Amino acid sequence: MKHITLLATVHVDNCNGCTVCPKVCPTLAIQMVNHKAVVDEALCFACGNCEQRCESRAITMEKLDTPRHIGVAVDDLPREQVDQLCIKAGFHPSQIVCYCTATRAEEVAAAILKGAQSPEEISVRTGLRGGCSVECLQPALRLLEAAGITPTPVKGGWQWYGRTPTIQEIPEAVKAKYQNRGFYFDEDIKLFASVVQSDRR
Amino acid sequence: MRAPILPAPARLSQYGVDPTLVTKRAAQLPDITSVLLSDLFSDTPPLIYPGEKGLAAIREATIQALDRVDMSMIKPEHSVNICASHHGFTLLGGEPYAEMLKTLRDVIAERTGSQQIRLRAGVGLRFRETAEYIKSFGLDTHFGPRMAIGVAPIDAGIPIETEIGTLWGIKAIYDADWIVHAHNSDVREVHFHRQVDRAVKPFGMSYARIETRSTYHQNLGPRAANFTARCIFASDFVQSKFAFASFLDMSPAGIVGVDADNDLFALNDRLTLAGLKYYGKIMTLLGEIDECIAVLDFPCPVPYVFASGVIYANFIGANTDLFDLSAALPAYTWYTEAFYGKNGPLIDGIAPVNPAIKLAVHNYAWGGYPSAFFSEQIPTVVVGREQAEVMDRDSQNVEYMAHATIADGLDQAMRFAHTTARTDKVIIFDGAVGGINVSTSLAKELLARAPAIEARVNDILLPKWLRQRGIDPAQAGLPASALVSS
Repeated sequence: MKHITLLATVHVDNCNGCTVCPKVCPTLAIQMVNHKAVVDEALCFACGNCEQRCESRAITMEKLDTPRHIGVAVDDLPREQVDQLCIKAGFHPSQIVCYCTATRAEEVAAAILKGAQSPEEISVRTGLRGGCSVECLQPALRLLEAAGITPTPVKGGWQWYGRTPTIQEIPEAVKAKYQNRGFYFDEDIKLFASVVQSDRR
Repeated sequence: MRAPILPAPARLSQYGVDPTLVTKRAAQLPDITSVLLSDLFSDTPPLIYPGEKGLAAIREATIQALDRVDMSMIKPEHSVNICASHHGFTLLGGEPYAEMLKTLRDVIAERTGSQQIRLRAGVGLRFRETAEYIKSFGLDTHFGPRMAIGVAPIDAGIPIETEIGTLWGIKAIYDADWIVHAHNSDVREVHFHRQVDRAVKPFGMSYARIETRSTYHQNLGPRAANFTARCIFASDFVQSKFAFASFLDMSPAGIVGVDADNDLFALNDRLTLAGLKYYGKIMTLLGEIDECIAVLDFPCPVPYVFASGVIYANFIGANTDLFDLSAALPAYTWYTEAFYGKNGPLIDGIAPVNPAIKLAVHNYAWGGYPSAFFSEQIPTVVVGREQAEVMDRDSQNVEYMAHATIADGLDQAMRFAHTTARTDKVIIFDGAVGGINVSTSLAKELLARAPAIEARVNDILLPKWLRQRGIDPAQAGLPASALVSS
């Protein structure tokens, strides 16, 4: 869930048509029209990526007259279905997976169960990646994979490239090679397991 | 008691309020004094900066350190990326790090004949931050037009095959024949890297794409996270480009020297020991404080304001031993935050945030880093509506002010803090150099407790911390007393 108070606003005279902003937008809210960036207000959830990567400073974040909320309800889905998807992806349903928006795994799972097929669609529905847009990518990809969905990166975009390994997937030989250098692989695997198995909410 | 140390000045940035709005610094409050690190701990190392020679000492030390480095792999026709990170620019005003970067450029050019020497400066979560530093420290002028740029984790990426699978780096970091890793040894985010492969961390963070950074903070766990950095650095791809590393060798009091090496892991072992030894003492000492008001007063995001080399994020967890790898979760790290369910921690054994912090006064700190956990867990007073507005407008902090209150000025905030917290102990996170600004009562307490902490760290904790990281205390040159008791 995310509380949206701002909107990316393009100052057309300053836009040099470089096409960076559509490449860094997590919700695909920006398109180039006649070599100028155009923001779809309904899709913009104010992460600020476009504003920060615009070399010509053609984008500013402007306050919305009426803030809006986006989020996906979890309670109207069978609880077991939501929980199973989270656990299969290695998350406790109540675990926070986005540190900026405090989005929990169950909400991302609910978005997927209600039809989201990609990180971009998850973002539009839940607000995930609506803050820094950095740290919560892998939970989205892991939950999609657990649901049997293999999303495709946006062609020509820099939104994301792929899922990466989890600690459970690190080969035993690699763990053995480095376990005396301060990396507590097996202990952290146990920690994750204890969280996923917790019956607290 | 000593006069307060001058705090780091406010800095113009899109991530904080206009410096003119920072009208009073916490060091100007009545009853504030300072304690020098050298008055606390007998083994505080001598510094080259600050010092009599000023920035010339940094240039001199960098040149001397580079004398020991092989640059023969760099040919005149080759390109070189000097890779930097935002963190260095927050240390001692930023000029020393900028001076090391400028010196690196000059020495590489002189010794190799290369004319294609660029600066690639990575960021945390404020994607324009290093671009601001590049301009304000004249690095754009020194490196030449378009040669010095800030890079961000959302920029174009490049796949890197590692021992655990594909991870992604920032393409612009690696778009040269050779890379030079220019960093510092300040321990900073101990809650994340746990002082394991500290020197390698930027390869998994400020030089990395979002896929990799999310791996670090979501996929690998609180004690294996920094393996992300090691396996990227150890990859054939990075090894084929890595020339050498140059580090500002830091202590909590200031810059001890410059260390450079073609072998990053050898350099890492040296810095690991120094970090545990010097930062371990002050962190352990600050963890002994029983009650206090924490004042945030430095130009960087809330978790990174620092006092005597200890960032606020680590003070929040100072009731736990951040260096002890037998403890899975500090009181604050992102994995800990993740494991807070709707009604508290999802598992037993998660320590509450440092109960000694009765209240935080946010006199001056930036947005640009998710910090709502801090205001949610610690009663927080933000000074000035403009500063509250900075947080409200920040996509990473939309909920920060939902948990904090606002005071018109620092004096009002402190009056409220003292009344509410019922303590006269104040600690100021203002980046004071060489020591720490605190209230008189806290100064006396720190001075009284420090000798016992120094002995405990030297004799008991340091040997344990070293062994947990695969470093033999006997080889590390620890005193005999440490080897006996450990």
